[in-house]
Amino acid sequence: MVPEQQQLHSIGQATWRRDGQAKVTGAEEYVSDITLPRMWHARVLRSPYAHARIVHVDTSYAEALGAVCLTHADIPKIRYNERIVSTPPHLYRDRYVLADKARHVGEAIAAVAAPTEAAAEQALRALRVEYEVLETITDPEVAMWDGTEPIYTNVQLGDQELSIEHNIAVQRTIELGDIEHGFANSAVILEREFATSRIYHAQMETKGVVCRPESDGGITVWPTAQSIHNVRQLLGEIYSLPLHKINVKRVPIGGTFGSSIQMNSVIPICVGLTLKSGKTIKLVTTREEDMYDHVRYPSRIRLKLGATKDGLLTAGHMHALSDIGAHNTQAFAFLSVLSGWWASLYKLPAMKFEGKAVYTNKTPSCAMQGFGNPQATFAVESLMDDLADALGIDPVEFRLRNYVGLGGTFWGQGPSVQSIVLSDGVPELLEKGMEKIGWPGRPVSGSQTGRYRRGIGMARGFHTSGAGAPKPGEVIDYSGAFIKVNEDGTVDVVHALMDHGGGTLDAIAKIVAEELGIPSDRIGISPADTLTTVYDVVTHATRGVYAGGGAAHKAARKVKAILLDYASRVLGIETNALVIEPDETLGQGVIYCPSFPERRITVGALAKLCQTNSWGSIAAVESLRQVNCPPAYVAYFVEVEVDTETGSVRTVRAVIGSDCGTVVNPDLAVGQLEGGLSKGLGYALVEDNSWEQESGRLLSKGFWVDGKTPAMSESPLLEDIDTFFADSYEPSGPFGAKGIGEAATNPCAAAYGNALYNALGIRFTELPITPERIVASMVAAESGATKAVLV
Amino acid sequence: MTARTINLNVNGEHKEWSVAENDLLLTELREREGLTGAKYGCGIGECGACTVLVDGQPSLSCLVLAQSVDGCDVLTIEGLARGGELDPLQIAFLDQAAVQCGFCTPGMVLMGRALLNEIPDPTEKDVREFLKGNLCRCTGYSSIVRAILTHRR
Amino acid sequence: MIGQHPADLGGHGGGGPTEHANPTETQMEDFTNTHILVGEFELIEPHTLAQASESLRTHAGEAVIMAGGTDLLVGMKMEHIRTKYVISLGRISALKRVDTNSDLVIGATASIRDVAHNSVVRQQYCALAEACQSFSTMQIMVMGTVGGNLCNASPAADTAPALLALDASVHLTSGVREREIALSEFFTGPGGTVLSDGEVLEHISVPAPSLSTGSAFLKMGRVAADISKVSVAVTVVRSEDRVRQCRIALGAVASTPRRIVAAESELLGEKPTISGISKVSQLVQQAIEPITDVRSTAAYRRHLAGVLVGDAFRQAWLRAGGGEIT
Repeated sequence: MVPEQQQLHSIGQATWRRDGQAKVTGAEEYVSDITLPRMWHARVLRSPYAHARIVHVDTSYAEALGAVCLTHADIPKIRYNERIVSTPPHLYRDRYVLADKARHVGEAIAAVAAPTEAAAEQALRALRVEYEVLETITDPEVAMWDGTEPIYTNVQLGDQELSIEHNIAVQRTIELGDIEHGFANSAVILEREFATSRIYHAQMETKGVVCRPESDGGITVWPTAQSIHNVRQLLGEIYSLPLHKINVKRVPIGGTFGSSIQMNSVIPICVGLTLKSGKTIKLVTTREEDMYDHVRYPSRIRLKLGATKDGLLTAGHMHALSDIGAHNTQAFAFLSVLSGWWASLYKLPAMKFEGKAVYTNKTPSCAMQGFGNPQATFAVESLMDDLADALGIDPVEFRLRNYVGLGGTFWGQGPSVQSIVLSDGVPELLEKGMEKIGWPGRPVSGSQTGRYRRGIGMARGFHTSGAGAPKPGEVIDYSGAFIKVNEDGTVDVVHALMDHGGGTLDAIAKIVAEELGIPSDRIGISPADTLTTVYDVVTHATRGVYAGGGAAHKAARKVKAILLDYASRVLGIETNALVIEPDETLGQGVIYCPSFPERRITVGALAKLCQTNSWGSIAAVESLRQVNCPPAYVAYFVEVEVDTETGSVRTVRAVIGSDCGTVVNPDLAVGQLEGGLSKGLGYALVEDNSWEQESGRLLSKGFWVDGKTPAMSESPLLEDIDTFFADSYEPSGPFGAKGIGEAATNPCAAAYGNALYNALGIRFTELPITPERIVASMVAAESGATKAVLV
Repeated sequence: MTARTINLNVNGEHKEWSVAENDLLLTELREREGLTGAKYGCGIGECGACTVLVDGQPSLSCLVLAQSVDGCDVLTIEGLARGGELDPLQIAFLDQAAVQCGFCTPGMVLMGRALLNEIPDPTEKDVREFLKGNLCRCTGYSSIVRAILTHRR
Repeated sequence: MIGQHPADLGGHGGGGPTEHANPTETQMEDFTNTHILVGEFELIEPHTLAQASESLRTHAGEAVIMAGGTDLLVGMKMEHIRTKYVISLGRISALKRVDTNSDLVIGATASIRDVAHNSVVRQQYCALAEACQSFSTMQIMVMGTVGGNLCNASPAADTAPALLALDASVHLTSGVREREIALSEFFTGPGGTVLSDGEVLEHISVPAPSLSTGSAFLKMGRVAADISKVSVAVTVVRSEDRVRQCRIALGAVASTPRRIVAAESELLGEKPTISGISKVSQLVQQAIEPITDVRSTAAYRRHLAGVLVGDAFRQAWLRAGGGEIT
């Protein structure tokens, strides 16, 4: 509940986003739009083989064309992990800037730079590579067999060499309580295997980077990135450059959804070319290269849950297998979060998680919106519906009896990041959702006949807000902000946080405005780079507003204290008796004492006074680690209509409720939910990356012709989407705010699965639920093989 | 391969370009004219991010040979706002928060403009059919549809 | 096994450096550069069809025709297509016509959108109108042409089943010789047509349907703007409550878009019934040869073909003035 005294002037207001005018006029400059004087262009030679040793790279023809060439021989022999969010002892390092062994089709083998892209292309084709082709391993089960060709013999874990057996990158077992005892005391036990697909992020902008050498031996880098500081640190480590000689700029990014959570593979390649040649170089990938660069972690999850006849969960056992592809970018964290999301969905007196992440010769997996959460939630929420069915309890009621809510323990990032839930809008989300979808009128599952059948399903879930917790875990999580009041009363906020498009930086401005009592249009967000900002870990884990905003809020409080201190001197009123409020007529913040309203001064006048009196700047820099990771809850209620002849599924209605605490940007928050639905329905019904088993090539060959995502014609009509927000306040967040972004998509696929079960009486356990799968299941069901389909 | 001089109109200004056969309209707009509002999204006409209007018609500039626009009128997103005044559709996109990462926005706005020029009072179905070739991964499209429909009113 | 980065031994691309000549050019496989158009070629933009034929004859075997370019340039960017000459029909205005004075005549470079927008086409040639209205994306409809869609000869070309079901014929010219053939004789395989060297598609003609004729087109893709998994067009000519004529054509279920003559005769002279239509669907399913690929499976395509044929038949029958089929 919102504290009664909270009266907000900036937070919760719908405003034009700050970068909006630049974006609607084409003026916004993304990495691919940057042109610098004397800039060269680079291209990367990529392996056509999924698994091959690089015997020799001949660059002589390309060099004869005047190109600069970079191969494995040119780069420091430093193994690294592209994503440095895990603490060093949990960091698996298995890759080089350019490979000495290709482990997937598309692995970067060499690179060239030339004055134009056409010249670079010509030079690229003049490179000669000799490969020793090895067995291609695309199936994670086969990868683990005895005698299968090892993709790695060893990698580096922390400072130690770690030998890799049976291509297993990481294994993790987490056990709490006695599951045997729990299952023994269950009235119902269900077990199913679920499979989720390996989909492509399909962010609109492909990866890119521009790198300029500086005359002092340093470099300036403009990358596609979610964290400028982590890019800088990795470049420093790989190329042994002192950090003050590396400036990484924050550049607007054309969508990420996790695809730039790690340092993009082309960044160190471009830097290597710049360091070798002394040229300013631009390297922007093609869509085909990008599709071979990253995918969402696929999963096979075997889940067993038990419950008493009163509908209380007793125990759970989850086996998870993930095909991580050619590199271990964050498999350890992936297994951790799979267990954590599961443990945080429902109270389990006893649980056991056994996870394996396996190398194959495919595109490396990386985080994608929800990092493990869409996968885990699909399995758990599907099985929860089946359990409710088996127990004869309404699915919503069953969830209410078991969910982890107020006072419960929430795992924000696996077992090492835990905090207590302080805000919980779940009952409101479920109650309103039921009402809006017409829950009581839903058909009995599988009772319908006829060609067109409708069904209503729901699923709930959440995402964490950040990865902070009371004690240090396996994940680094803190942010910092620098705020200064200018001499006219406007404010500059200098923050390394990335805005992926969700409006995070607009939220930061509103939080600072709110705290300082200054209208939000007087708050400026400064361009940011690593030389002028303090560390921010990365915009991920739905932490932008909660953790990044929390740091800005902390700095703003300090600035406010300085302002009031000076004002007290000027007005002759005790600091504690002063308030700052925006004055609409003056268009700026005014400091005054409510008991003596004539004692007042505008923030602008005060700041000017500070300057003319040489009192100094009004500024503060603060760093903040949030010690909570509040769940941003979401509930989906979906009605579908299935054409049982063609297997096509139409969304009749979708209701999405969010508990994001205080809503900071109301219109953009709705946009997060609508966007979450679009990506969620793509995951549920459409998207899949299929691979040729023999060659390890994408069947789509990396082209968007066959990498389909939902377009405007696949999305439900305006009147068929209903979004709403719970009346909720997160005590640990800035003005009660927590996260929203990733939560918005997490339960979507499960809600579709449950709606389809309601319509057809068939449980789909494999994503995407395509017309092909629906028709095949219908045929099997009609021929009496229902049992087989249901496993 | 021979470079040829072509004459065209870009955002109301006459241009003379010397272009080779394999030069693409998208590259010329971006690199020669610095009009980087048209984006490379896929290079093969699947995403709509490179959309510009050629003689008023929506065209995928990644699949248009520069030489073939000799004598044409090309409108890019940079030419839509006139004299510093945003087009009402651009304002509608801002009002409806139809912009997130913004990478698809130039193509979306130009497609919306082309639709409204043809059908001043489109239905939601008209909007969805007209813009089905423009991908957006952020918004889920609803706000974009709302922007085009509210502008209608 | 010792491999090399696959090299193109064909020596395409016009040389390279002479002194340090690279004997072979590394092929880009899945990693062609779609930022730019790498292939070098000469662009010929004739203003008349005669000039186009002349150029085509002069450069026989080394030239390709470009209509809208939406498939050709994609093929060239992906480097499936390499050519020395591109002959663009874009500046031949006579080829852009859509003429509905008697039979429907569609010039080779009439855009998909112009056909979709034509009011006569929408009223009388429903299958074609539906194929064009649902065609890919708006930008492709504006840029792409019906002629290009046919000459590309994709098994999944959306306008092909509609035109086949409407009994279209194509007029081909080489500048020296003209010929008209039924569209059903036009396709020879994926990407293959009967067009001989120097021959250009000039126009497509579709006989005006009688009042008691109805047609319909249906398709399914993974999303709306997609290459079809299956496309179906049906034309029915009604005589009282009986079927006088029927044409059924499908796309994406065989090596070419094709008519399924074996199924067309099933209901001739009959009153259409649910069981009759289901027999037609079965005959279609037996006659087609669908494959499994990245877009769908053979089994699903076969199943879907049956469903869509039934749906399209019912729709066409209604449009022919027939009633609900029971």
